[in-house]
Amino acid sequence: MKRYVYINDDESPTQDLYCDNRISNRKYTVWNFLPKNLWEQFSRFMNQYFLLIACLQLWSLITPVNPASTWGPLIFIFAVSASKEAWDDYNRFLSDKKANEKEVWIVKHGLKKPSRAQDVRVGDIVWLRENDEVPCDLVVLGTSDPQGLCYIEGVIECPNPDKDIRRFDANLRLFPPFIDNDVCPLTIKNTVLQSCYLRNTEWACGVAVYTGNETKLGMSRGIPEPKLTAMDAMIDKLTGAIFVFQLVVVVVLGIAGNVWKDTEARKVSLDLVKSLYAKFIDWDVEMFDQETGSSSHAANTAISEDLGQVEYIMTDKTGTLTENKMVFRRCCISGTFYGNESGDALKDVRLQNAVASGSPDVIRFLTVMAICNTVIPVQSKNGNVLYKAQSQDEEALVQAAAKLHMVLFSKSGNLLEIRFNASAIKYEVLDILEFTSDRKRMSVVVRDTRDDKIFLLSKGADEAILPCASAGQQTRTLNEAADQYAQLGLRTLCLAWRELKEDEYQEWSLMFREASSTLVDREWRIAEVCQRLEHDLEVLGVTAIEDRLQDGVPETIEMLRRAGINFWMLTGDKQNTAIQIALSCNFISPEPKGQLLLIDGKTEDEVCRSLERVLLTMRITSSEPKDVAFVVDGWALEIALKNHRKDFTELAILSRTAICCRVTPSQKAQLVELLKSCDYRTLAIGDGGNDVRMIQQADIGVGISGREGLQAARAADYSIGKFRFLKRLILVHGRYSYNRTAFLSQYSFYKSLLICFIQIFFSFISGVSGTSLFNSVSLMAYNVFYTSIPVLVSVLDKDLSEKTVMQHPQILFYCQAGRLLNPSTFAGWFGRSLFHAIVVFIISINAFAYEKSEMEEVAMVALSGCIWLQAFVVIIETNSFTVLQHLAIWGNLIGFYIINWIVSTIPSSGMYTIMFRLCSQPSYWITIFLIVGAGMGPILAIKYFRYTYTPSKINTLQQAERLGGPILSLGNIDPQQRSMEKEVAALSITQPKSRNSVYEPLLSESPSGTRRSFGSAAPFEFFQSQASRLSSSYSRNCKDN
Amino acid sequence: MAISFVFVVTDSRFSQQELPACKFIVTPTVVISTFVAIAIVFIPLGLASLFASDNVVEIVHRYDDLCLPESSTAVQHIQSKDSNKTCAAKLAVSKAMKGPIFIYYQLDNFYQNHRRYVKSRSDKQLKYKADADDTDSCSPEATTDKGPIVPCGLVAWSLFNDTYKFVVQNKVVDVNKKNIAWESDRNHKFGSDVYPQNFQSGGLIGGAKLETSKPLSEQEDLIVWMRTAALPTFRKLYGRIEGDLQVNDNIEVVVENNYNTYSFGGKKWLILSTTSWIGGKNEFIGIAYLTIGGLCLFLAITFILIYVLRPRQLGDPSYLSWNKQSPMP
Repeated sequence: MKRYVYINDDESPTQDLYCDNRISNRKYTVWNFLPKNLWEQFSRFMNQYFLLIACLQLWSLITPVNPASTWGPLIFIFAVSASKEAWDDYNRFLSDKKANEKEVWIVKHGLKKPSRAQDVRVGDIVWLRENDEVPCDLVVLGTSDPQGLCYIEGVIECPNPDKDIRRFDANLRLFPPFIDNDVCPLTIKNTVLQSCYLRNTEWACGVAVYTGNETKLGMSRGIPEPKLTAMDAMIDKLTGAIFVFQLVVVVVLGIAGNVWKDTEARKVSLDLVKSLYAKFIDWDVEMFDQETGSSSHAANTAISEDLGQVEYIMTDKTGTLTENKMVFRRCCISGTFYGNESGDALKDVRLQNAVASGSPDVIRFLTVMAICNTVIPVQSKNGNVLYKAQSQDEEALVQAAAKLHMVLFSKSGNLLEIRFNASAIKYEVLDILEFTSDRKRMSVVVRDTRDDKIFLLSKGADEAILPCASAGQQTRTLNEAADQYAQLGLRTLCLAWRELKEDEYQEWSLMFREASSTLVDREWRIAEVCQRLEHDLEVLGVTAIEDRLQDGVPETIEMLRRAGINFWMLTGDKQNTAIQIALSCNFISPEPKGQLLLIDGKTEDEVCRSLERVLLTMRITSSEPKDVAFVVDGWALEIALKNHRKDFTELAILSRTAICCRVTPSQKAQLVELLKSCDYRTLAIGDGGNDVRMIQQADIGVGISGREGLQAARAADYSIGKFRFLKRLILVHGRYSYNRTAFLSQYSFYKSLLICFIQIFFSFISGVSGTSLFNSVSLMAYNVFYTSIPVLVSVLDKDLSEKTVMQHPQILFYCQAGRLLNPSTFAGWFGRSLFHAIVVFIISINAFAYEKSEMEEVAMVALSGCIWLQAFVVIIETNSFTVLQHLAIWGNLIGFYIINWIVSTIPSSGMYTIMFRLCSQPSYWITIFLIVGAGMGPILAIKYFRYTYTPSKINTLQQAERLGGPILSLGNIDPQQRSMEKEVAALSITQPKSRNSVYEPLLSESPSGTRRSFGSAAPFEFFQSQASRLSSSYSRNCKDN
Repeated sequence: MAISFVFVVTDSRFSQQELPACKFIVTPTVVISTFVAIAIVFIPLGLASLFASDNVVEIVHRYDDLCLPESSTAVQHIQSKDSNKTCAAKLAVSKAMKGPIFIYYQLDNFYQNHRRYVKSRSDKQLKYKADADDTDSCSPEATTDKGPIVPCGLVAWSLFNDTYKFVVQNKVVDVNKKNIAWESDRNHKFGSDVYPQNFQSGGLIGGAKLETSKPLSEQEDLIVWMRTAALPTFRKLYGRIEGDLQVNDNIEVVVENNYNTYSFGGKKWLILSTTSWIGGKNEFIGIAYLTIGGLCLFLAITFILIYVLRPRQLGDPSYLSWNKQSPMP
């Protein structure tokens, strides 16, 4: 299906065919809100169950409590979540309205007229000023650049709306009297998309092609699937178990219990604390990036505890581990290496001399550096030239060329001017063969205005350029240069050129134009045509660009690896560069401790054999104290994923570390998917648009708000400023969140089961008739107030100080393996609630027997006992008390009495005078005291015994921390800062030998101080890696249960 | 949550999770002294409770089995209108009893807490004259042909109707039946202008009849009965003897054995009891206190012994698994 957009034509038949520009992000309308919202709420299993119970309770014959006590909370909870939805939707409506009513200028019959954004129709010409927000998808007709424009009439032929924001293959045909039916191709480059801002130009004019919800943005917008944390899943399972238990009780004893109400209350309080966890992340000043002035942000407030259970981290390289600040470091021109001694080619005297003497090879090299790019030079007021570039690499190259006196001076239209020393040289840019991740190279075709010669200038990855070299050229030196640079962790680019004959160019140009205007498979067609020109190149040399590691990356990776997290690096860079970066940031260990296994091969068979070999080695070495990592490139990965998925999956499970180089964004996402399918918790971290898919795919997506824009940060669940904040995010926030939620949820089960058990026991002495011991008001207040408030402040609880956790990251194992919330801990809480129910019940009915056995009084004694016990349970389970915790725990106890005294003053209530009567009796207080003693004594004894004689690692660290004892410094993080600089200097001594063994000499030497110290901690490493292997098998077992 | 918001605004230590916190760990000293302290408090309290309970003098007399003629079966006897239900008993006072002496009747196997029973009443009707028709919850004792039953429901219908007369040393002793119900019930739960109507007029008589001339707020036996018991064995106050009883006083009790507990196998007792600061005679609290206190003492001693015999350094880093051979426990 195609869409024809008639420009500026009010009478065109298509005007009414397409929707107007009214955008709507709303989920509901006024009319469908109630039914739709209710439908959504009831489509959840839990809510259906609750509704069933609530309906059953309407039948007074079988219900023990007042239906109002069931329907009240149900309606309240539904109302809360409905009003939250309504409020969100209202805000969406407001922002839609604001966007729809925004003033835009529409050009009609040669006049600019103000209009509202929502009235823009397909085919209208919209006029925008700088910093205006673009109201819909436009095809740009002109900007303030001198070329100008007037009114035109024509038709744009374009595909139907879709959501691919990188593709727009359309054609423009102008109507007479302009140019005769000449088809002009349009691509995504000719468009500005809705919600972008107009920059760098005074004004711009465009034809609306997609409007309203049919814009690229509108189509790609969607409510992302909500993520469920591992813990939520576990809690739901346990809830299910409780429901089964309850159903059995209902069937056997005929009483509908109380647990379900609490489940809803738990959901509300969990939501509350989870949003507080997220706020803590936002507020954390230690995760505030001074450099960019941005704080960390939790966009997804619901998954904080998953951070504590991460098992795999998939990280991007460029911009994530590195700063993405490219600096030109070295080059190799015609076999001569520059910059090897000083580490900076710009300071290399030989190169400076070569430039000064006008060596033709060097001049050509610099010309390609300066011209073969899409950088835009801007003259600033003080005469300097500033560069605006999309690619950091290109900017680095142009900057370096300028420093070597080859200045890209201006670009206007097709004409660009470079200045070499004092002379200005003008080139006409004929075509740009753009960079794509498949081609891995870009070229420009330029005409030298001095002698009208046409040149093809190319730059790209070595494996993309060297095969295109002319047959006569020796590429061995270049290959070696590229390898050597890559080993130093530098990014390499090959520069090449070729002179074109006029007729060859003209012939090719026609094909290129045709390919550029196809609507089907345009990208592929263009690539094919480009291929026809890019051959027989004369390769001029290799550039090497350094991308410095971010601060604290090696420490962060080492710490997280000690915490039992496995790291995978997924990068688009070449293998050697990736391996070097991996080495320098502790990603892999140098030999002999570490071992790299390569999966490669040119054919499928080779890849398959290589994969089997690696898998075999991995199986053998999995019991050895070795850090084994595998390295795979995009091509081998594709084959492995397609044809040998099973083997590759096994390899992925066995390997703690992997480096995947030359991978595409979709392969990154596939790898995440693979690990997720093995039931691992994955975290993906990246900074650029090519990481977005992986970030969205992973259980937790973390975006670095870096130099490549905010795309990744927007798509992510968490955005942080620097990679090093990841350790705090996981070890501090993730771990605390997990611990707190583990306590909170199990405590919630405990307290509702406590009441439930008492009701069950009471039914045995009430003729199994299902009488409720407690009255409805008390039951409701028990869930909503008495037991919720003390536990809510457990969000402030810290079992270990942040410092201790950072010193002993291994402690994260308890979270990863789900040690704090699993069926066995749950059984502990279940047992505790059973024990406490027995204590409360036996003591209440015996102490208040015979003449004191009045129903309301016995109920209130039992309830008081529960309240006191749960207060002490919170106390015994709390590790650190702040003012707020004291306030909540003691305030809640006092609140319990105040509330009941107030209720006891109301004559119509069943509890009239009860609480006053009880409080004036010594036997009441003595009973409560007895309940607390009998209930808490054994708990304290068990806790003490376990804490002292079979302590968990957490307990040991708590003891060490609080007794001020010697906190062990074994395996402390080496604080030594390591810079890429040192690494490069130290490593550059080694010369490469052959391509196949490139990494070996590097691995066998461990020049940096840190690595030596690392080596000395070898036994420690060994056990740690074993532990983690156990942990992963443990957690897998857990998940199977 | 209001408090926390104040903290957010005023104290950034909250937002940084750096509020000053006191951390507590269960060190041997803390735990052992806690258990010793519990023992020190609980054992004397237990002794005091036991002593108080022991000081309460209680005369318990079961009569449901004694007051049956041998000629007919129990149910026939109790349901017959003509049979003589008077029955006498002699009780001895083993220990001096200081007035007021509380007279209770105790029923057994009587499920006043059964769901159908508990709900079969109308609190509105008991309180307000205008709400006499509010009998929806009272089934099956809700209405008769003549109108609503006041007080309606099974609880009122089954009102206890045995009576006791006491002769001490051949002198009739007055039983004070005033103020045996809670004052709050008399004043606020039962109306002073609500009079019994159509009560016990149906075919099946459940228990006592009420004087139609007395408002409900003065029908104290009813008020006491309407306070349902949580347990199937319970005592309710019948009245008080204001004077003292001496050792070896002979009490002759004349029981009107009207109440039918025979059809459900319930037992009936008559109890005379004094009171103490913990209430009536109840050894449970004292024994429980002594048990818990003793247990705590035992635990404290055990922990001390373990502490001495197997000392273990807290927070010893060698217990961290990543420093040991076995990776995880």
